[in-house]
Amino acid sequence: MPATPSAIPGGKTASGERTAPGVRIGGLTVVYRTPAGELPAVSGVDLDLPPGTITGVVGESGSGKSTLALSLLNAVQPPGRISAGSVEIDGLGDVVALRGEDLRRARGRHVGYVFQAAQNSLNPLKTVGRQLLDLGRSHGVGDLRALVREAGDLLGRMGLDGARVLDSYQHELSGGMRQRVGIMFALVLNAHLVVLDEPTTALDMITQATILRIIREVHEERGLTTLVITHDLGVVAEVADRLAVMYGGRLVEQGPTRQVLGDPRHPYTRGLIQAIPRLVGDIGEARALPGRPPTLATIPARGCVFRERCPLRMDVCESEHPPAVAHGARLVSCHAVEAVTAGARKEQA
Amino acid sequence: MTVIARRLAGHLARGIAMVLVVATISFFIIRNIPGDPIAARYQKLVEQGMSPEAAERATAVMYGFLPSGTLWEQYVDYMGGLFRFDLGVSVTNPGTPVTTVLGEAAKWTVLPVLTGTLLSFLLGVTMGVYAAIKRSGVLGDLLAISGSLLHGVPQYVLALLMGAIFTTLIPVLPPGGTADILFEPGFNAGYIGSLIEHATLPVVTYALAGYGGWILAMKSSVVTVLGDDFILAAELRGMKRSIIFRYIMRNAILPLFTILAISLGLLFGGAIFIEKIFNYPGLGFLLIESVTNRDYALMGGAFLIITVAIVVANILADLFYTVIDPRVRSGAEAAA
Repeated sequence: MPATPSAIPGGKTASGERTAPGVRIGGLTVVYRTPAGELPAVSGVDLDLPPGTITGVVGESGSGKSTLALSLLNAVQPPGRISAGSVEIDGLGDVVALRGEDLRRARGRHVGYVFQAAQNSLNPLKTVGRQLLDLGRSHGVGDLRALVREAGDLLGRMGLDGARVLDSYQHELSGGMRQRVGIMFALVLNAHLVVLDEPTTALDMITQATILRIIREVHEERGLTTLVITHDLGVVAEVADRLAVMYGGRLVEQGPTRQVLGDPRHPYTRGLIQAIPRLVGDIGEARALPGRPPTLATIPARGCVFRERCPLRMDVCESEHPPAVAHGARLVSCHAVEAVTAGARKEQA
Repeated sequence: MTVIARRLAGHLARGIAMVLVVATISFFIIRNIPGDPIAARYQKLVEQGMSPEAAERATAVMYGFLPSGTLWEQYVDYMGGLFRFDLGVSVTNPGTPVTTVLGEAAKWTVLPVLTGTLLSFLLGVTMGVYAAIKRSGVLGDLLAISGSLLHGVPQYVLALLMGAIFTTLIPVLPPGGTADILFEPGFNAGYIGSLIEHATLPVVTYALAGYGGWILAMKSSVVTVLGDDFILAAELRGMKRSIIFRYIMRNAILPLFTILAISLGLLFGGAIFIEKIFNYPGLGFLLIESVTNRDYALMGGAFLIITVAIVVANILADLFYTVIDPRVRSGAEAAA
């Protein structure tokens, strides 16, 4: 086995080689403290990330998807906090219960996090290489030369001149280059769970396509479990095996990407897909979803979070939150969909 | 290195132009001041029985140009004198060149004010970091309030208060002057001890007066950096707290160096109120004296030295930035 710089105990199988971990998020609720009391940004989210898959989480801004992503590292920023639920990661246990040094060491080494490309995720006063050394020292990497070599290889793998990039400051790199540096930082300690928050937002189309190809390829080569957070259905369609649709802090529909996009069940998913303008046909066929997404303060405390904008709204939606019900490989939370399928079942009987 | 040399050359050219402009303004102020001090001086000397030629020469020595010359001749004479570091002769100290008087006063300003500024900078920056980190706690609030309070109190009130407390209520420190006349000036323990004793009140007052500004500036700078994405990114990569702390400090302190450079330049203007109140014969004290005595040559010289100091401080600050901030460095490279 080649001596990787991160061949250090923790999160490995008996063979010593790390493998893609599975992740089980259960009943996750994140609240933010506001003058109006603690308001939920994420409520009761259940989501499994099967080992070795790419899962996409889609939602509008304010739907709670970034908060969900930060929860995977137990890094929800104050005034927010995880008030209930668990995030079980294979080889790490429940991240929500981790504290202090244990939590710090898990970040970076077990879970890699990639920021949105337009954000400045690097210290502007230090070269990429020096920050890499800081990372190595933080995680007690003994062989820093090997770490630099690994970083150079990773950057080279993504089509960059590793030596040059390591010697550069953030302001000397383009958005696409920064994003690849971000991916390098997430992987260089051999993390096998990678969270990408809006990985292609604010990049031009060509660079977007390149980054998505890189994500897909690196995911397969290194055997990762990947979570991609995005507002762009196109990104998910491109890379994700599984798709979860988020609205008002809740997952409304999840399942294999092809099924969800090809035959959306939840009225919100349907609305999202109908809102995409097509390359062929009339531009008028694209229909915007009426209304606005709820904010932290306007998310209804009872009933379905989507009912205000829902074409299938029923009386029960006012009072009861729809439970997630399995439809084949898919979970949908909608009273109306339930009623229709129940009706169909009765007819068949 | 050529980049820095080129930058330096540009700064020097601009700096010299600046000094010349200030010298010109100061010339015209002296030349056109109400009551025409030059003509008055000339007439006074003649009345005292001096021959017109001798009186003319004596006046020229004092102001750097002949009282009978045209405006242009006088200007050329004055500026010519500047290049020979001849700023004329002080009226209040007969026969002493202005440069000598300034040099003597600078001695009493530079060291105490420098010490005071650096003290308040170090203290204010350290406390500012704490105030930022503990900003939602009582300690942070107290620190911020102490900063606002000290920043809000005028220097002279602070100086009078300090003087009242430590020379009258608890008389532990001398009320003014530079050293006790009991001691022989020179390198001996008694004299140096007395120097330090006399400098304590001005230095501490200066430090307290500056502290409020530093703590507030540093607090807001740290709070800004704390909200930057790269700090969260470093946390999410599991960086050690000590490393993240260094990232925060270096990025937060950067903008404060400009303020530090400017205040170091301003220190040549002396702490006017503090020096006056503690009777400390520095440049600020000298400036007040020259104004009260209508010693125009000395006034012009004092203004000039302040200008030069600020120009030099700004040049140094800018060069310093090219060393510590890579973004400025490559900006200079791109411009070159």
